[in-house]
Amino acid sequence: MATLATWAFRDRGGFTLLHVTRLIGDETYHDAFVTTFRTATITTVVCIALGYPLAYLMATTGPRARALLATAVMVPFWTSVLARSLAWVILLGRRGVLNAWLLSLGAIDQPLPLLFNSLGVQIGMVHVLLPFMILPVWSVLARLDPALPLAARSLGASPARTFLHIVLPLSVPGLAAGVTLVFMLAVGFYITPALLGGPNDLTIASLIEMVVRDLLDWSFGAVLSLALLAAVGAIFALGAVFAGVDRIAAREGRA
Amino acid sequence: MSSGRLWLWAFGMIVVAFLIAPIFVIIIVSFNDTALFSFPPTAWSLRWYRALWDSRSWREAGALSLYLAVAVTIASLLLGIPAAYALSRSRWRATRLVEFMLVSPVVIPVIVLAIGLYFFLAPLRLIGTPAGLFLGHTLLAFPVVIVIAGGGFRRLPEATELAARSCGATFLRAFWHIALPAVRPSIISSAAFAFLTSFDEVVLVLFLGGPGTNTLPKRIWEAVKFELDPSLTAVSTLLIALTVIALGVAELGRRARHAAPAGEAL
Repeated sequence: MATLATWAFRDRGGFTLLHVTRLIGDETYHDAFVTTFRTATITTVVCIALGYPLAYLMATTGPRARALLATAVMVPFWTSVLARSLAWVILLGRRGVLNAWLLSLGAIDQPLPLLFNSLGVQIGMVHVLLPFMILPVWSVLARLDPALPLAARSLGASPARTFLHIVLPLSVPGLAAGVTLVFMLAVGFYITPALLGGPNDLTIASLIEMVVRDLLDWSFGAVLSLALLAAVGAIFALGAVFAGVDRIAAREGRA
Repeated sequence: MSSGRLWLWAFGMIVVAFLIAPIFVIIIVSFNDTALFSFPPTAWSLRWYRALWDSRSWREAGALSLYLAVAVTIASLLLGIPAAYALSRSRWRATRLVEFMLVSPVVIPVIVLAIGLYFFLAPLRLIGTPAGLFLGHTLLAFPVVIVIAGGGFRRLPEATELAARSCGATFLRAFWHIALPAVRPSIISSAAFAFLTSFDEVVLVLFLGGPGTNTLPKRIWEAVKFELDPSLTAVSTLLIALTVIALGVAELGRRARHAAPAGEAL
């Protein structure tokens, strides 16, 4: 029954596509797609850089430290995205915590523009999506047979070599799942760019919102949605090849 | 500890600080006495919690979100548990496809779902009504139940119910008295997460809501976007507390699962 509902309204979106003859030739739309994919790419790369080491740490440390680290990942993961966006407004604003501290330390003369621009969006998005990278990588690394890196070391490989040739290749499925999830969610992200972004950070999602709420053009909104859906579907298909559907679907998304 | 390991820990701690700093800042600022979001606070007070309690709009928003989340949790369990059970016991080849379709709302951007639901709900005159929102939230929450409760059913050997069936129990009786109690921890976890999914949901309510559907997240959204009311930090702190409680419940469920695998039911 619910499956039918899911498919029914997707079909409805599809039917409107046939009726809408409006061209997506406008610069604004191109720019929005470019901004969205650029933001998603940077977010994904930063999430790998920050998330992989932490996931590695979680997989290789003792149970107590692991429990603490897991709590530090899970609590923000399930905390309302709105509450976290508010926190970043408080932290990064012109008269926010960070600027006030840097000013009082004399490190800067003028408040840094950290909010309502692409930097603010970037920070907020990495914060929201980082757990989606950490959790799949952690679950793969945790199941890695510890004898394998030990064997490599005993055969004379340096720690760096062991990591690059043994641990990293074996963690590729988790990494692929994380990359797919983060990228997929980042492309469709709405809340963080809307709250922390500036007027120049128009993403596909905020464009859909504008078309639907200000222009009240639900049909065109549906066309944009389908474009977004196609993009997400393509990423998912690509990710499924490398990571398997299970790993991606098991981390339920809430962006 | 090698020096490489030390660096790894140092880096890991920075990442952890990045993850939890916003949560600490919110909690601390919520006890601030001044109307500015200053940190660290110069004087402490509970005035923003009092302001929250005294405000009718915040109270009503909280109550609506609570009712909605409870209704969504119940509906998700009613839909999700039988589906998860059927999927875990089915030998039909297309099972994987059905399962994928059932959990697909999770991977579709919520904004796309919102637009799709608009076309679905508009002819039914459900836009701007709690009932419409209830349908939308259930669509988001019941895949959570399928994933988590499904994991529970999959870990439960089919022989458990077959034993009951061979002793003369009907199918329903075997399900109700044997299979269901055995996966109770997974069901508790999935209920906690389904509740949070509805309680925190913002995007659907922004697009499909109306004057009659001022849920807590919608009220927060408006306050963050337009007024930056200091009560926001108080309500966010309460949300964080709720998250910690829900995670605690889910974790207890997980522990119970590991401590008493299926045996408890027999």
